[in-house]
Amino acid sequence: MRTLRLMGIGGALAYRALFNWTTPAMYTGTLLAGPTFQLLFFAYLGRQLQVADDRFFIVGNAVLAASTACVFGGTMAVANERRYGTLGHVLLSPRSRTVVFWGRVLPYAGNGLLIAAFTLLMGVLLLGLRIPVTALPGLALALAAGSLACGFFGLALGALGLRFRDVWVVSNVSAALLLLLTGVNVPRDGLPDWMITVGQLLPITHAAEAARLLAAGRGLEAAAPALGRELLVGAGYAVLAALLLKVFEAESRRRASLETL
Amino acid sequence: MRTLRTLLIGTLLRAKHLSRSPFEVALALVIPLVQATLAVYLFRAGDEPHRLLEAAVGAGLMGVWASVLTGSGGAIQHQRFEGTLEIIMLTPRHPVLVVLPLTAATAVTGCYALVATLLWGRIVYGIPIDLAHPLAFGAATLACIAGLGMFGLLLASTFVLMRNANALANPLDYPIWLLSGMLVPISVLPAWTAPIAAVLPTTWGARALREATVGGPVWPSIGICLALGTVCLVLGAVLLKSFERRARAAATLALA
Repeated sequence: MRTLRLMGIGGALAYRALFNWTTPAMYTGTLLAGPTFQLLFFAYLGRQLQVADDRFFIVGNAVLAASTACVFGGTMAVANERRYGTLGHVLLSPRSRTVVFWGRVLPYAGNGLLIAAFTLLMGVLLLGLRIPVTALPGLALALAAGSLACGFFGLALGALGLRFRDVWVVSNVSAALLLLLTGVNVPRDGLPDWMITVGQLLPITHAAEAARLLAAGRGLEAAAPALGRELLVGAGYAVLAALLLKVFEAESRRRASLETL
Repeated sequence: MRTLRTLLIGTLLRAKHLSRSPFEVALALVIPLVQATLAVYLFRAGDEPHRLLEAAVGAGLMGVWASVLTGSGGAIQHQRFEGTLEIIMLTPRHPVLVVLPLTAATAVTGCYALVATLLWGRIVYGIPIDLAHPLAFGAATLACIAGLGMFGLLLASTFVLMRNANALANPLDYPIWLLSGMLVPISVLPAWTAPIAAVLPTTWGARALREATVGGPVWPSIGICLALGTVCLVLGAVLLKSFERRARAAATLALA
C-alpha cells in the first residue's frame, strides 16, 4: 500500500513540478495542436501518394501522439530534477528509487492516453474516420499500452540524463526516429529489414498495429497478440530504465558528477 | 552600408553562436536526414520514384523552416534567459536590425538541411541530382533564405510579448509544411486553405525550388517570395517597435 502511495502521489507531485508543458498555452500548443497538425499532414500526404487509406494514418498518428508527452515527460522526470538542483534530494530518499521513478511514468502515460484519444477524436471529426463503437474499449487499451510503453521508453532515455549532460538531443532524435521506424506513417513492408527489426523493439509499433486492427473492426482477439507485444516492450524498457538509473546513479556518486550540468 | 554591415555581422555572430550549441548542431544534423528518409520511403511506397528528387528537396526545405521556426521562437526567449534582451533593445539601432540577424542566421544554418537531404538522397538512395535549372535553383535557395528569415522576423516580433513563445512556435511546423506544399501539393488541400497558402513566403519559396528542380517558371515565384518576405519584414519591424514600447512601458521586457 505504501509503495502504491509512493508511486501515485510521488508521480503526481513530480508531474506537476517537472513537466514544463503543464501551462495551458504550452499544453494546448505542443500537446494538442501539434499532434493534430501532424496527423493532418500525413493523412493528406498519404491521400496524395495513395500509400494507404485515411484510417492507416489517423490511427497510427493518434497512437504516436502519446509519444511527445511520454518521451519528453520521461526525460523531464529525471533531467529536470538535475536542472532544478533537486536530484540529490531524490537520490537521498530511503525508499526504492526504482519505485519512485516508475511511479513518475504513470501520470505521463495517463497524459499520453488523453492526448492520443484527443488526436483520434480530431481524426474522426476533421477527416471523417468511422470507428465501430464496439472497438472503443479495445482502442483505449491499445492507446494505454502504447502510452505506458512510451513512458518507460522516455524514462530509459531520461536515465541517460544522469550520465550525459545534454539528454535533450537524445530524446529529440528518438522522437524523430519513432516517426520513421514504428511504421506509423510508412507501411512496414516498405521499409528495409533492419528498420523493421529496430521498429519491433520500439514502443508504439505494436500498439499502432493493434489499434489499426481494432479500428478496422477485427476485434480484440485479433489485436491481442500485438497488444501483448507492446506491453512486453514496455516492460522491457521499465527494466532497462531501472537498470540504467541504478548504474548511472552509482557512477555519478562515485565521480561526484551528480549535479554537473 | 552600415546597415548592411550590422545585418551581416549580426547574422554571422548568431550563426557562430548556434554552432557552439551541441543541441542545435546535433538536431540540425540528424532531423533533416530522418525526414528525408521518411519522405523517400513514403514516395517509394506510393509508387512515385520519379518524384524522389522533389521529395528530397521538399524534405530539405522542411528542415530549413523547422530551423527558422525554432530559431524565431527561441530568438527572443533565449536572449531573455541569457539576460541580454534588454541590452540588445537598448542599442541605438532600430530593433529590427538587431533581431533580423537572429532569425536570418537560422535560415542560413537551416540551409544545411537542404544540402544534406540532397546528398543523403544521392549517396544512400542513389537519387540523381538532375536539376532542371541549376542556376535558378541557387537563386531560389537564396530567395528562400531571405524570405524565410524575414518571415521569421515577423514571428519573432510577436514573441516579444509572450513568455512562452515556444507554445506558439512548437505546433507551427506541420501547418506551414502542409500549407506551403513542401511535400503535399496544395491542390489536394481543402479550397479554403488556398488564400492562406498564397500569402505565405514559404509557399512561393517551395514552389520556386520545386520549379527549379523539375522545370517551370522559377523567377516569378522567386519574386513573389521576396515580395512577401519584404511585407513580413515591414510588418515585423512595425510590430517589433510597437511591442517593444509596450513591453518597456509594462516593464515586462526581461520577464521570462
